This record gives sequence, structure tokens and C-alpha cells, in this order.
Amino acid sequence: ILKGQRYIYSTRLSGDSEQHQGQYYTVPPSHFHTVFPHGLPPRYQQQVKTFNEGCVMVRQPALELISHLKRADYSKPTLRYLLYGVKGSGKTMSLCHTVHYCSTQGWLVLHIPDAHLWVKNCKELLPSSYHASRFDQPIQASNWLRNFRTTNENFLSKIKLRQRYVWTKRESTEEGQPLGELVDMGVSRVKSSSDVVGAVLKELRLQAGGTEGGFRLAVAVDGVNGLWGRTTLKKEDKSPVAPEELTLVHNLRKMINNDWCGGAVIATLSQTGSLYAPSSAYLPQELLGEEGFDSMDPFIPVPVSLYSEKEFESCYLYYLDRHWLQHPHSQTEEGKKELIFLSNRNPSVLERLCAFL
Amino acid sequence: MAASLTGLLKPWTPRVLLVRWSRYNPYYLEPEPRKEVYHIPETELTPEQKEERELKSVRPIKAATNSVTSSVFNDPVLSKFVNMMMKDGDKIIAKGIITQTLENMKRKQVEKYHKAPEGKKAEIECNPYAIFHQALENCKPVIGLASIQKGGKFYQVPIPLTDNRRRFLAMKWMITECRDNKHRRTLMYEKLSQELLAAFSKEGNVVKRKHELHKMAESNRAYAHYRWW
Repeated sequence: ILKGQRYIYSTRLSGDSEQHQGQYYTVPPSHFHTVFPHGLPPRYQQQVKTFNEGCVMVRQPALELISHLKRADYSKPTLRYLLYGVKGSGKTMSLCHTVHYCSTQGWLVLHIPDAHLWVKNCKELLPSSYHASRFDQPIQASNWLRNFRTTNENFLSKIKLRQRYVWTKRESTEEGQPLGELVDMGVSRVKSSSDVVGAVLKELRLQAGGTEGGFRLAVAVDGVNGLWGRTTLKKEDKSPVAPEELTLVHNLRKMINNDWCGGAVIATLSQTGSLYAPSSAYLPQELLGEEGFDSMDPFIPVPVSLYSEKEFESCYLYYLDRHWLQHPHSQTEEGKKELIFLSNRNPSVLERLCAFL
Repeated sequence: MAASLTGLLKPWTPRVLLVRWSRYNPYYLEPEPRKEVYHIPETELTPEQKEERELKSVRPIKAATNSVTSSVFNDPVLSKFVNMMMKDGDKIIAKGIITQTLENMKRKQVEKYHKAPEGKKAEIECNPYAIFHQALENCKPVIGLASIQKGGKFYQVPIPLTDNRRRFLAMKWMITECRDNKHRRTLMYEKLSQELLAAFSKEGNVVKRKHELHKMAESNRAYAHYRWW
């Protein structure tokens, strides 16, 4: 069935150009472990394992972001892009698409897979050594540093520190040492890993717009509304912890401010992991709250919509080609109409339906 | 003939009347869930179908149960399996387990398919529904045993089984096997998918149980004439 309809779906694309909208492009398998050690949605990871290849659909929000990134002026303060849409419309996948584009262009990518993971379910909350009223999260910080190291291997030796950092009486990292040493220290000394994260972010912020050996910095945050809400963490006297009192959140907020230049901040709203937010909320105003909206303001909103007819066709043909739609009736016109009706063209709902059909 | 009002002429009527349940006055007709029947235009109806339509326009019709759909993906055998797996009327959980099982089976088979060399690809069955039906077929016993009393003692007599009974036994064995013989930490859908894939290739505990029943029936052949029907 597919020979005549190959124009909608083709795996031989490598670039992300405008004419290929609706078609799938393959991410080379080597890139999966380097660019995406964390950050892909879990169901997509399962799909990559099953089909033995990773294909991403080229959709309009991602193309818009990429065109903005191509034409932006990097000597001006950073532009902030915010992806928003209903649940399951493909915000995280668009973010991952943009992150992959940035890493193929040679940018340094700072990918925080889900900011909500830093404000809930923390087993160990240590009081910070650097600042009396703040709290450290050693496990989350060291995990993130490990993944950061895998993503940006080639930058770690090139960037040199511009400041001396003292960790304890005997430990310090001198000026001029490569960033890789700092990251290694953070991964091995778990107790000070949150402060290491803060130091890394500060260094990258200072050096991103530099003219000598300058690199472009992409900060990709998924679930950015977690940074300004409430947390479920409690101090020892059972009083709630505000997000500002967490070192990781404090440092990340400084990163999202647009007082540095030489890069871009791409953020996604997420209701799925969010705390104390109603399930029907998807707009920036509702999910970020007053404080968050004021900090993110001004930003470039990028709406992510459900699949259009062409995109749905493409997705359907892709599943057929990968032998994923096995039910005999799902391959007929009747079945296709039923799928459109049941899923309302929502990408994640369609994926879950096709999983058992 | 008044359909349901005859029961109401009593000195006392309960406050809550059952309107939709499984026991109906025989006057009520069965509902028709299939879409194709309603798409036939007026001109192409046969005389029987026209008569049926006229009858349906005057007689009351039973309420359709929640499990009946006009969807093309409706499978009666699978619905029966879901009902058997259901505990305390919680169909959502049972249906969820079955969908996860089908997805799991499909994932394993599709992964094998994509990794297999060209020649072997055609032999791998990827359709979870086909696997489910074939596995169930492989678990159905051909002959069963009944406990018949003769001269004060009970003998295990081999008897033929009806189709419904065979299907019921296959499903019952599959479910009890997956509930009892699994590790505490394995989830139901994982164990069920393993058992179904094993039964598809005629291995596994359920097929073994079927073979043991057949052997018992074979060994008790001498008592076959105790059966009188």
C-alpha cells in the first residue's frame, strides 16, 4: 500500500527544512546516547527500542523555533521561547527536535528533562553549605551533571573557568582549569554537587556570548512551570519548602533571566508533572502563575496544536510501515475513521490507541 | 400488551424500580449494535428485513449493556476474557490489563521482527489478536472428565465437551495460571503475555495442563460406558 504514498513519509531526510513538514526524519542511532541520555518521553523511548530506529515528525512548532534560532541576533540579550499546548500535543517532542538541531549545529545544550523532578519526591534534602537558608539536592544534581557530561563531551575540555571556586578547606578548583574537572568533581563529591551545578551555570552564562572561542548556549527546560509553583518537599519541622529555597531552582531561575547573551532559552509548559495545578490548565498564564509569568515576560509563545489532517495521515502511514497497526480492521478506511474519532487527532492518545490495536 | 406496567398494579410498589437489567419481559426485542444494518437504503431491503424494521418500530427494545459496541475493533472472545478476568465488577482495571498485555505481546514480536533477517520475517506473527486466538485454541481441551456415581463410588468418566465449556476451561486455566504461578514482583500483564506467547508455540504450563487432562481421560477409557448421554 505504501509504494505510491511514500511522498508523505520518508526516512531518508536528514535536515529540518520547511518543505518536509509532516514527514519523518531519522535521528542517527549514535546520537541517541549522546544527545538524549535524558529528556525523551518514556513511551517514545520504548517506541525507539521496538522499531529499532528513532523517527521524529517534522512539525510546524519545531520548524518555527528553528527558523527563529537561525535568524536571531546573538549579541543582544537572550530570547526566551515558550512551547504551550493541550496535554499530549507534542511539546516535549518539539523541544527534543529543537535540541537535536542545536546539537547538530554545534551548540552547547543545557537540557533539563523535567523541572518538576527537582521540586517533588526528593529523598535527601541537605541544608546548603554555601547559603544558610537554602537546601541542596545531591542525588538530582549529580544525576543531572552525569547526563550533562555525556551530552557535551567536546565542550568540557575547551571551556576554561574564570573564577576560583573553594569547596571545602582542602578542595578548590583553580582559575583556568577546564570545565570537565568541575563536572567530574560534582559527580564524585555528591555533597557539593548542587553548588557545582550553580557554578557550571554561572560559568556558561559568562562565557556564552564571548568573542574569543565563543559558543552558543541553548537552555532547554521541560516543565518550566515547576520553578515557580509550590513544592511537595517539607523541612524537618514539617513546614513547606518554597522553590526559591532550593539551590538548583534558584540557579536555574538566574539562567532563565535574559541578562546574558549568546544563546537561547527554550521552555515547555507541562501540566502532567505539575503540582497543585488543575488538569484542564494549559495556557501560560494559568500554569506559570503571576510570579512565573512576570519572570518569563517578555517571551515568544509557540503554540503546539494537535495533528492536522496531513500530519495524521503521515503518522498513520508510519505506523503501518513499521508493522505497528496489526489489527486487520485498523488497516481499513472504517478503522482509520474510528481512530480519528477516538483520538481527536491528539498525538499521545493516538499512540496509546495504536499500541494495542 | 402493556410491557412493564402490569407489575405496577400492586398495593405497594418499591421506591426504586429496576429499569435496565438482564431479566426482561419476553415482549422486549434485542438491540442491534452493528452499523452496516442501518446503512442499507430503503430500496435494498428484503421483505423479511422490512418486516423486522416495522416490528422494531412498535415493540420496546432491551437496553444495550456497556460491553456492546458498534466499533470495528469489538471482539466477543476478548470481551469474554475481560469479563472472566474482572474482579468486583472493576472492568476498567481488567480491560487495562488486557490492553497492556496486547501491547506487550506486540512490542516483543515487532522487536523480534525488526531484528530478524529477511528470510525469517514472514514466520514471525505480530498481530496480538491472532496470537491470542491461536493460543486459546491451543489451550482448549478436546475431552473432559465428569464425576459419575456408580455403585456407591465416584468414577472420573471421560465425556465430550461443548464449545462454550472448552473455551471457558481454556480461559479459566490461563487466568488461574497467571494469578498463582508468578513472582510477587511480576505484573499480571507481563506474566499473561509470557504465557500467551508460550501457548502460541504450544509450550508453557497451560498447554501442559491440557495434555495432563487428556492423559487422565485416556487412562480412564474403561469407564467411558458409565456415561449415559
